[in-house]
Formats: sequence, C-alpha cells, structure tokens
Amino acid sequence: MDIVVCVKTNPDLQMVRIKNREAVTEAVPYKIGDLEKNALQAAVDLRAAAGGKVTALCLAESNRKAAEDIKVALAMGADEAVVIDDPALAAPDQAAIAAVLAAAVKKIGACDLLLFGEGSSDNYTGQVGARVAELLGLPQIGYARKVEAADGAVRCERSMDDMIETLEAPLPAAVTVVSEINEPTIPGLMQIMKAKSKPLQVWALADLGLGAPAPVREIVSNLAEEQDRKNILFEGTVAEQADAFVNALIKEGVLGR
Amino acid sequence: MPMKIDAKLGLDVFKLDKEPHIVIDTDVCKTVCTDEACVYVCPADLYERDDQGRMTVNWEGCLECGTCLMCCDHKALTWKYPSGPFGVQYRMS
Amino acid sequence: MEQVECIIVGGGLAGLSAAYGLASAGVEVMVLERGDYSGAKNVTGGRLYVKPIRGFYPELWEELPYERPIARELVTMMGDGAHTTIEIASDRFAGAKPQSYTVLRAKLDQWLAEKVTEKGAMVVPNMKVDELLRKDGRVIGIRAGGDEIGAQVVIVAEGVLRLLSSEAGLAAEPQAKHHALGYKEVIELPSGVIEDRWHLNPGEGAAQFFMGACTKGMMGGGFLYTNKESISLGMVVGMEDMRRRRDGTESWQLLDEFKELPQIKPLVAGGVVAEYSAHSVPEGGISQVPKLAGDGYLVAGDTAGLSLNALVTVRGMDFAIASGYFAAEAVKRAKKAGDFTAAGLASYEASLRNSFVLKDLETARAIPGFMENPRLFTHYPVAVSRLLESIYTIDERPQAGLFKKAWRGLRRDFMNVATVKDAWSMRKI
Repeated sequence: MDIVVCVKTNPDLQMVRIKNREAVTEAVPYKIGDLEKNALQAAVDLRAAAGGKVTALCLAESNRKAAEDIKVALAMGADEAVVIDDPALAAPDQAAIAAVLAAAVKKIGACDLLLFGEGSSDNYTGQVGARVAELLGLPQIGYARKVEAADGAVRCERSMDDMIETLEAPLPAAVTVVSEINEPTIPGLMQIMKAKSKPLQVWALADLGLGAPAPVREIVSNLAEEQDRKNILFEGTVAEQADAFVNALIKEGVLGR
Repeated sequence: MPMKIDAKLGLDVFKLDKEPHIVIDTDVCKTVCTDEACVYVCPADLYERDDQGRMTVNWEGCLECGTCLMCCDHKALTWKYPSGPFGVQYRMS
Repeated sequence: MEQVECIIVGGGLAGLSAAYGLASAGVEVMVLERGDYSGAKNVTGGRLYVKPIRGFYPELWEELPYERPIARELVTMMGDGAHTTIEIASDRFAGAKPQSYTVLRAKLDQWLAEKVTEKGAMVVPNMKVDELLRKDGRVIGIRAGGDEIGAQVVIVAEGVLRLLSSEAGLAAEPQAKHHALGYKEVIELPSGVIEDRWHLNPGEGAAQFFMGACTKGMMGGGFLYTNKESISLGMVVGMEDMRRRRDGTESWQLLDEFKELPQIKPLVAGGVVAEYSAHSVPEGGISQVPKLAGDGYLVAGDTAGLSLNALVTVRGMDFAIASGYFAAEAVKRAKKAGDFTAAGLASYEASLRNSFVLKDLETARAIPGFMENPRLFTHYPVAVSRLLESIYTIDERPQAGLFKKAWRGLRRDFMNVATVKDAWSMRKI
C-alpha cells in the first residue's frame, strides 16, 4: 500500500517569544508539526503491516530550510520525500495549499492512502485535509484515533465524546489523524544517518504545471492578546482583605456564577 | 522589587523529559552533608529540603550549568545532561 | 558498526569551527549537538574577541551575526557608598576592523552551524552523545542512545563539564576550585536608549565590568554588555568562594541585589527581562588544561579548559574557535599520513602552543592564583573610590592640598605590608 503523508513544518511554537505583542521568529527553528508526526508514525506502522511505500510531502511555505527539516520525516521512516518550495508560496492561504498539495499528489502518482494531521500546530485551521480530499475526489475520514487498512479499504475509529465511531472507506482515501493515534518515535542517530541517502525531491510550482496562486484571504494583523493586570491592592486586616478580594471576584463574574 | 526567580525561569524554554536528569542520593544529604552547598550555589534556586528533611531538586527548571555537581563535596548527585530534545533551550544567551 | 571519518561531539563554537575546516577540506564529518540547535545550550557573558581569529576562515567573519562592535570599555570599582568608573574609548577598538563584538549564542552558533552544513558536514541537533567508545585505550567512536557509530577520530568539544571525557578517563573531572558560575539576564531596551545610556554612536557598543561590593568579597564581578536591542547583565562568581560561604547568600540573589544597586538601577530602568541563563566557566588557567590529544581523539574549547579571565578582559570563544581550527588542521594532517594515533595527532598541541591560545594562557599562568586574593574584590575597589572621593570632596573646613590628600589616601590604603605584597605578586601577571 502506497501512502502519502502531507507534512507541514512550522516555527517551533515553544521557542517563539512575544515582544511588543508580536511574535519574534528570528532564530526560531522550524519543525514538523506534532499531528503530522502522528500521521507519519501511522503511515510507517501501516507499511509495516501491509508493505508499500511512504512518501512525505511538504509545502515549504516560509521555511527556507524545509528540505533540511523534512529529513526528520525520512529518519522517522518515510521512504521518500517531496518538498514544494516556491517563492510564490511563501504565505499561501488554505485554498492554495490544498490546490498545490492535490497537484503534487497527482504527480507522485501511486497513492492508496493520503494522511494528514487533523490541524497544523501553528494555525490549526483543520481545512487542508478535507480540501485536498475534495479536490482529488477522495472519501475523507477526520479525527481518526485508529487506522487500519485491509482488503482495499481503510477502517478508522474516532471518539465522538460519548461514543466511539468506526468508519470505513474504500481506498484510495484521505484520513486526518489526532494525537491519540500513537506515540511518534524519536529517531535515533543511525536512522538520521540513513535518512541522508533517501530520495528527496524539491519541486517548484512550474513542476506541477501551476502558476502563482491568487490569495483570496489576507492576514491583516496578527497580534498577541493584550492582558493588563488590574493592579488592585486590598488593604486592611487579613479578613477584610479576603472579603474585599472575594467581592471583587464576584463582581468580575469569576465566582458565584 | 526584584523579579522572582520563578518568574525569571518562566521566561526560558524548558522541554520536559519524563525522567529526571539529576538524582540525589538523599541518604548522603541526610547523614553526611552539613553544608548544603547545592542550595546556595544553584542559580535557579532548585534545591530545597522537603518537610521530612529530604533534599529535593526541581530538575525541570535546570539551566544545566553543572555548578551543583562541582560544588557537592559528598558526591550525592548523579547528574547527566537531559537526553535528546529535552532540557533548557536558550533563545538568546 | 557504521563508520564516519570524524565525529565531533558538541556543536558549539569549538566543534563547529573544527567541522568547518574539515568539511571545507572534504573530510566526512558529523557534528552531534544535544540542543534544539547549535547555541541552544550555550551561554556567553557577551563578547567575542574577533581580532585574534580573523586569520582563520577570513571569509566567515565578514558575515558574523554580531550585536555591536565594542567601542567603549568601562570598569567600575564599587566602594562603600562611592564608586569609581574608568572609561577607555579608542578609535581602534571599533572602526573598520573591530577587535571585539558583543554576541548572543543562539544566533551566532546557529549561523555557524548553517555555514558548516553548506560546506557539506552533517550537523545533527537534539542528539546527546552518551559515551565515548574505547578499545585498547583508543577512542574508536561514540554511543548515542542505542546506536554506536565508529570514527577514525573523535573531536571532543562537549563543553565545560567534560561529562564524557572524564568518564572515559581522557580528562579529570572538573572541580569547583577551578571554575566560576556565570549567570545573566538578557534585558531588552530600545537601541536608542542603549546608545544614550552608554554614550555610543549608533550601532556601537560598550562593555562594563564591576568589581567590589557586588560579589560580597567573593572572587568575581558583575558584567554588562550592550547588544543591539538588549543588554546582557550578569555576574561571574568563583564556585569555591560561593560554596564555602556560610551567610545564607544564594547565588541567584546576588544578581537581584546587583540590579538594585544605585549604580545599576538607572542603567536597566524600563528594561524588560527576556531570558535568564547560567553556565560554568573554566577559570583554572593553563595548569588545568588536560591532555589535548590521544589515540583517536582531540579535545577542544571549554572541554580543554581554554578560557582566560584576566579581570578586565575575559576570553573563551576566540580560544574555542582557534582550537577548533587547529583541531581540523591536525586531523587533515593525520588523514594525509593515515595516522590517527596520539603521534599522528600531535601537531594539534604543537599548533596551540605556537599560537596565542596556549601562549596567552601561559603568560597568564599566575592569574588564577592571583585572583584568589580576596583584597582584589574587597579592599581595593573601596580604597580607590575612597581616595578619589576625598580628592573631590569640599566641605566647610580648609582643604588640604591635592598632593597631601592623595598622599594621605595612598598611605592609608595602599602602603602597608599586605598591599606591598599584592603589588609584588602582580609582577607575575
């Protein structure tokens, strides 16, 4: 079974500082998103059961070192990697991302199962998996916490709060996964060294026969929320302070709702 | 008023391992040690005795300087670097 | 066992400098760095002396991601209610080819790692080495997690704590008496404010040292370096003094108290603390430099104890880069001769001895001992300020002449048995 895993790299969010309400991304490394690692692990596990090939597909967007960072996917067990890197795609919207990924999946050719993380670690729009599935005319299953493939079909389990739903779709299909699905392995040094010699291709938009996408959505501003302290000091005895404090909390709607 | 040490550590990025990278031989601290150098030298204020008098270390906030390791005369510390992707990650320094 | 020609343990400045030289010469080299990226586990006080290393990899230093070239040097001696600052400014400190820059390691080391990768070396982040593998006394490779990788030569640039090299018996375990604790805050301030407060031309920087009351008599001092849009403010304190102290002072409190001092407070006013970091600093001088090479290995940078605190000039990163450069030269030579034994790698130590690295450390041989003198950190900063304060003091009484005031101060604080002894011991530094 041939599996393509769409993998996004994003700035390591834990390393981003906020200065004057804006994110400082200078010197912040990119890494593969957490849910994408789950998807990769799921692909590697499926391959172990059913054989075939795992291809990691990555749209570089603003990451100038995507071709380097995607090697982590190869070290985790993907057989091949494709990176789409084009200056016209530095800040694409979800529609453009989906169009490019769909074209790339077509160009890759053999694809029985298309895997995604449910959402990216940075924006988490959760749109891309469904959009690509739609563009390729594939059935799609979301929020998968278990994936199995057998007899030309994929069977997934997902948690719906008070019940567990099991869904099946014929292959080829697209599945978006959640973190409960597995515990991604951290690749060892030997795996990292081996990844170096695995096939890695870098494509531009022209290689996919596409032109620069016209953005239909623009990010006007992206600021951290402002949180001002109220700076209220209560005076008096401890009992008086406690009373005043509780009253203030009630007044703010924090208590006694 | 000076910033609290916890607040300072809160500015740093710590990626937490499941295993502690510092292990204290608390018997040594209890029976041999009288100077408690670790408590005074640690720049992150991570060492303290608990209410039973056992020495503890909040290794999660470790800056990995190794000062405690060098300053403990009683060899009470098993001190390794956190593995692979874990521990403090400086963004400026 | 998988084999590569050269493994470098540690992607700091020493390791990366060696990797750059080796990869440029086509040697197969793999750098293992335990941080998220090179620089993620590193701390500098703040300054790289670039002049000594300009001759190594000259193309690199043109692109160095520095903060500010240092144009002004300040030393503040903190007395009892009075302090004295000496300021040295020279056209030759900054200018077209500055002698030193303030730097921040996350940016600096990541940049160098990228340069090394461009040259064809493999830099693996998030990879902690767990053991140096030895066979018949020879270092034959490393173990990281469950993987063992062999190498013809291992360059050990694992940093000051020498956890691996001491475990493997290549170097002694580091001791408190030969080390200091350095710790600092990076405090953000707008660049214009920095230039106003330290009287700097746009883009230029200052370095300031503080001796005296701030360490409560312990060996060490405060430091301040101006970055582009932040300052690095911290302290270096001798570990031996710190752990022998019995008055309840905890190291981290010293920095808070330092920041509250009337000489410091206005300098950091309005600043926003962005990071707090700490690191051990080798201060043992040349007597604590371990064996630099043996069968199948070299040691470089802090692991080799290559740093020099000469009170007002503090060096380490230039030594690390130089040692990496010479390590690469030695490995290239060994490869040519097909001899990675101690004899084949012996040119490393010879090169370091012929360069400023071990020559400067040799010249400074007496400094670590000299700095054990507590009067340096107690008596003198106070005495200097007291003397100058008396000269500048005017009150209702008839004033003594300038010479008499100075003579009186000198007699009181600088002409007794202890100070004469100190002056005599100074001739060695």
